[in-house]
Amino acid sequence: MTAAVTIANINKYYGLFHALRDVSLTVREGEKVVICGPSGSGKSTLIRCINRLEEHQSGTIDVLGTILDDNTGHIDEIRREVGMVFQNFNLFPHMTILENCVLAPMLVRKTPRAEAEDMAMHYLERVRIPEQANKYPGELSGGQQQRVAIARALCMKPKIMLFDEPTSALDPEMISEVLDTMVGLAQDGMTMICVTHEMGFARQVADTVIFMDRGEIIEKGDPQSFFDNPKHERTRLFLSQILAH
Amino acid sequence: MADISLASTLPGTSRLADLRRKMFPNVLSGAVSVLGIAVTAWLFWILLRWAVLDAVFFGTPEECKAASGACWAIVTDRWRLMFFGLYPYEQHWRSALAFLTLIGVIVLSCVPYFWTAVRLPILWVVSLTIFIVLMRGGVFGLSVVTEEKWGGLTLSVFIFAATALIGMPLAIALALLRRSTLPLVSTLAAVVIDCVRSLPLVTILFAVAVVVPIIAPNMPSTKLTRVIFGMSIFFAAYQAEILRSGIQSLPMGQEEAAKALGIGYWNRTTRIILPQAFRRALPPTVSQFAISFKEVSLVIVIGIFDFLASGNAAYGSGDWAFAYVEVYVFMAFIYFLFVFSLSRYGAHLERRMRVGK
Repeated sequence: MTAAVTIANINKYYGLFHALRDVSLTVREGEKVVICGPSGSGKSTLIRCINRLEEHQSGTIDVLGTILDDNTGHIDEIRREVGMVFQNFNLFPHMTILENCVLAPMLVRKTPRAEAEDMAMHYLERVRIPEQANKYPGELSGGQQQRVAIARALCMKPKIMLFDEPTSALDPEMISEVLDTMVGLAQDGMTMICVTHEMGFARQVADTVIFMDRGEIIEKGDPQSFFDNPKHERTRLFLSQILAH
Repeated sequence: MADISLASTLPGTSRLADLRRKMFPNVLSGAVSVLGIAVTAWLFWILLRWAVLDAVFFGTPEECKAASGACWAIVTDRWRLMFFGLYPYEQHWRSALAFLTLIGVIVLSCVPYFWTAVRLPILWVVSLTIFIVLMRGGVFGLSVVTEEKWGGLTLSVFIFAATALIGMPLAIALALLRRSTLPLVSTLAAVVIDCVRSLPLVTILFAVAVVVPIIAPNMPSTKLTRVIFGMSIFFAAYQAEILRSGIQSLPMGQEEAAKALGIGYWNRTTRIILPQAFRRALPPTVSQFAISFKEVSLVIVIGIFDFLASGNAAYGSGDWAFAYVEVYVFMAFIYFLFVFSLSRYGAHLERRMRVGK
């Protein structure tokens, strides 16, 4: 299998704070990676580096054969192929659900409106909210908004999907509807990198689970060995804290 | 339950009861309320007698002096001077048409149908061309009327419209430049904004009207165009900061989501950032428009014959000199009409935008 994302020895600083320390990670096409770790461990920073929402200072990132550097052409190329779902949904509040979904395909992929709308309705059906197409984001529940955000990202037909704590801002009863959508996506073979604390989801779909702490990858393994037999003390401590409740 | 249903079916009764409870809870408060109502009614009666009952609506200065009420006759006699200034009398229809064109385009600009990057510029270019052809003449058999003869309310509204039209794109540019990631660009924008804001408008007007012709005597520009330019920069400096506050109030996630979708800078700015920034900055933007409309009256100090200057001229000629109060009340009424419509429109926009929130 070919590599979708290759991260080699990247370092990232916020001023004097060393946010990512020599992080290396390879994600194969179709692989599902779950990244967990305490807050401030650099997990969000890591996936935000993949589509240049954050800039890394050293090391290389290769996404689908394109090297991520200061060349805006390269950045645009990567962003076209990499979808992202945020903790706070970040739907555009002044546009309807349908407009949110067709905007990027029409502007970036130059898809004709009719075709973009058909595609948007297809994905809205897939996340099971086609009836909300003409509403505004503010009229939807958190879970519905996050499912729209997933549909919006899918409308760009990305090859890789990044999830940055997609269920952390949701009320408990809405978490499962979003996770179900993500499981469906995983079953269709999407390459996924998810920062999440949903360990049930990690067990169910992840090929690889990664634990990060203080800007470093501490442990990496398949879900079985990661959860049942963690090697590092810090991983064990984190898992005991997160699984305690 | 019974009370509630009664109140909801007979709102008049409940409002009356409510009023009685609030104004006459006890003897002292009741007495104060009665006194307050009596004084208000008396003042209203005096005003009514002055403005309507004893007023002279048509007639000569002598008839006005004989009456005890307001002399609206000066308005009905001199309104053309106030509206059109020194524009040649038999050509007033041109100034009137030009004025209606401006009002028309301002009203049309308020309709969401025209809010596209294509329709709005076309609308303004076409109507400003009509305005200038009507006012200046020289084509289609219209006699030439130079800018020095333009005046009155027509000129005030034109200066305001042109200021907003040039100033708004300038404001957007300054606000975006000030947010640039290039330090030189953002500093430069900040310096321009702060310098302009630290100057009183009157000094800017003096500079463009008096100083510029001295340092650059060969510059091919008229006083009116330089004044519009100066007012536009002044407007832009303030409006840029209003817009910047709107932009900065947006969550970071909006720009990030657009970036993550691969949307480039221009589309991000014009479709995601600015529409939301304008919504958030709407109340101060409406005030800025109101302030700018009233600031046009400052051009009187550099000898431009605007609405206010024309009003001064209307009572300035001997026989009507006593009726200046009526002239100012009338001009205040016209200003009120404009600014009040503007603020009602702003309130309407806010209600409309709350839906898409």
